[in-house]
Amino acid sequence: MVTKHLKNLHNRLKSFLGKLFKRNKEIKLGLYGPPNSGKSTLANTICMDWLGKELSTTSEIPHETREIQTKENVIIENNGKKLTFSVVDTPGIATKIDFEDFLKGGLKRPEAKERAKEATKGVIESIKWLDKMDAVLVILDATKDPINQVNITILGNLEARGIPVLIIANKLDLKESSATAIRSAFPQYEVIGISAKEKHNTEQLYQKLFEVL
Amino acid sequence: MDVKIKLYPYEKLKEDGIKDMLHDLKKNTIIMIDAKLKPDEEAKLIEETMKNISTNFSGIELDSLDLTASDENDTVLKKIKTQILEFLTGKKRGLTLIGPADIIKKIEKKPDDLLLHMR
Ligand SMILES: Nc1nc2c(ncn2[C@@H]2O[C@H](COP(=O)(O)OP(=O)(O)OP(=O)(O)O)[C@@H](O)[C@H]2O)c(=O)[nH]1
Ligand SMILES: [Mg+2]
Repeated sequence: MVTKHLKNLHNRLKSFLGKLFKRNKEIKLGLYGPPNSGKSTLANTICMDWLGKELSTTSEIPHETREIQTKENVIIENNGKKLTFSVVDTPGIATKIDFEDFLKGGLKRPEAKERAKEATKGVIESIKWLDKMDAVLVILDATKDPINQVNITILGNLEARGIPVLIIANKLDLKESSATAIRSAFPQYEVIGISAKEKHNTEQLYQKLFEVL
Repeated sequence: MDVKIKLYPYEKLKEDGIKDMLHDLKKNTIIMIDAKLKPDEEAKLIEETMKNISTNFSGIELDSLDLTASDENDTVLKKIKTQILEFLTGKKRGLTLIGPADIIKKIEKKPDDLLLHMR
């Protein structure tokens, strides 16, 4: 009898604390996409614009980000409204790890092997973290063919979890890029064209964040 | 090199899990499945692939056709039919092609079929 009461009390306390934590929990904005699409460059642009410091390292060699990078308390403002969230930069998701890319990038064999191992762990971590996100920007390199299984898998998993998504068509500063190709590949999604590197059209992105977060 | 092609009924995949498939993929086997995988199955497949990557296995090429994907011209009736069928069979109508990245250069997705380019 007493234990039952205690258990009940314990459960009520747990649920109360749970709610308290949830309320204080920051909204997480995930940056997802295939390797090399510009996730970290965009994370840096967002953090630089609103915090004055960068978050991640970037590189032309794929799988530069191999661990989740989080920056909390990013506050953006628009028309007197404020929005506070965490930026979560994730390792690029891939179905294969090209060892040769690391060798071409100048790494020695043992380093390249270690890097590949870390890259596989990064992909797994990205997938595991999907559940924690409150909204996700799927960043695609607009110079590449958007109809790619990795993109479809990422979008499908976000949809299945009911997580709001904006597709970012990145690298629009490059001549061979096409936001239109991305729009026609994924007509059911909102697509925003930007250049994370040249900081083009990021204003529109910030405005849209108020709608999805 | 001895390359094999295996046809996998989707129902078998559900019973035996994705681990069996990786066992085959690591042994130069290309796998065809008579359905589109669900998003969580695709994610699981990528996770398992990552756990198995080594100097002998660089990963997979994966592509699929989704025959249930609706377009604007679909009638409401057709959409309902698709959903009922999926609910009853537990299976998304389509095709999936998976192969070891070390022997497949790429899978080309024409709108209505899949074309496998070997190395
Ligand atoms: N021209 C151009 N290059 C860009 C843009 N955004 C990123 N890049 C370049 O693309 C390469 C990859 O950028 P990252 O930001 O490291 O890509 P990522 O998506 O974080 O990659 P992983 O961490 O490997 O998954 C780098 O060389 C960047 O300088 C852009 O808007 N325009
Ligand atoms: Mg990165």
